[in-house]
Amino acid sequence: MPRRVSIPSSEVPYLTKRAIEQEATVLLAEYGERFETVVEPPIPVDEIIEVHLQLIFEMRDLQRLFGVGDVHGATWINEGRVAVDQSLDPHNNPRMLGRFRFTAAHETGHWRLHRPYYLKNSAQLGLFDESAEKPAYICRSSARKERVEWQADFFAACLLMPREMIHEAWEQRHGSLKPVTLDDLREHESEITTAEIMRRGSLGMDRDTIDNTLLEWYGLPLAGQFQVSPQAMRIRLEELLLLVRKKETTLFD
Amino acid sequence: MGKTSIMFGQLLRRKRIEKGFSLRKFAAQVGVSPTYLSQVEQGNVDPPTAERVRRMAELFGENTDEWIALAGRVPEDLPEIIQERTEMPALLREASGLTAEQLRQLTEQARRFKARDREQ
Repeated sequence: MPRRVSIPSSEVPYLTKRAIEQEATVLLAEYGERFETVVEPPIPVDEIIEVHLQLIFEMRDLQRLFGVGDVHGATWINEGRVAVDQSLDPHNNPRMLGRFRFTAAHETGHWRLHRPYYLKNSAQLGLFDESAEKPAYICRSSARKERVEWQADFFAACLLMPREMIHEAWEQRHGSLKPVTLDDLREHESEITTAEIMRRGSLGMDRDTIDNTLLEWYGLPLAGQFQVSPQAMRIRLEELLLLVRKKETTLFD
Repeated sequence: MGKTSIMFGQLLRRKRIEKGFSLRKFAAQVGVSPTYLSQVEQGNVDPPTAERVRRMAELFGENTDEWIALAGRVPEDLPEIIQERTEMPALLREASGLTAEQLRQLTEQARRFKARDREQ
């Protein structure tokens, strides 16, 4: 999910994955300390934004507001306001639940990770003219993945799918943290890809898409449990090396 | 949108957060979509119907009539009450302009009348 406006990507420092994950963990712990400890998924991202961080949270027609068709979310730093596009409203379209939650968590990432840099940058450049049509961050699906957007995405993944909870859920399913490889799933390939091709109404799929579909299919129960999209869960499980594309060869293979 | 919509929206949002409801959770309990509720809070649409405002006030644990008035709505039962007795409009006209305390006393008196009727 992608891109911003008044803060050049170069102004955002490099943050390690570990630092971003730590920030997400701290936020969840803060919420737990103030309200109730979150011991199982789904992570209450709505409450974290509104009740804990006290940000103004809105559903808006952002696509019309900004005149582009693929805006999912926006953050107004000075006003402490976050908006998610109304096309992602899960009440009207339950299939959007995962994307709605990921977008909300992504905007929270801007708030937690980038607010200091935005404020510093805007002070230096006199950019305090944030307005309804000009938030600090506009997040689009089509835009090039800039550092600032990648960081917010990674933050969202860590917040919604905490490492320990994922490990616990994986262990409950498998009895261990042993990864699942694409080869383990190949026997289901024809059945899963046929269903997916029919769902999409397309003629076929390339190799990468087939592999992603298989991995996402496998991660579906967890995606449901954590209320994220199958794609977000697949990326997180790959990040945590629980889903792997190729089995690591060892001396004994 | 008018001043009532904007003021009601702001008040609603403030109270919702104070009571610890997220937008989605509150919308689900009231039976509306989060998008609609957000539009109400932003003052972009008229406040909801009296029935929905009543539900909101109940969730807040607050006086339903007060919230319905804040929304610029009339409680659902009032039109019928006003129409069922021809003396009612005159009573309301006379009561209009009384202080809150005078209205409270009038209400108390009406309750006593009703209680006495029930006993007889």
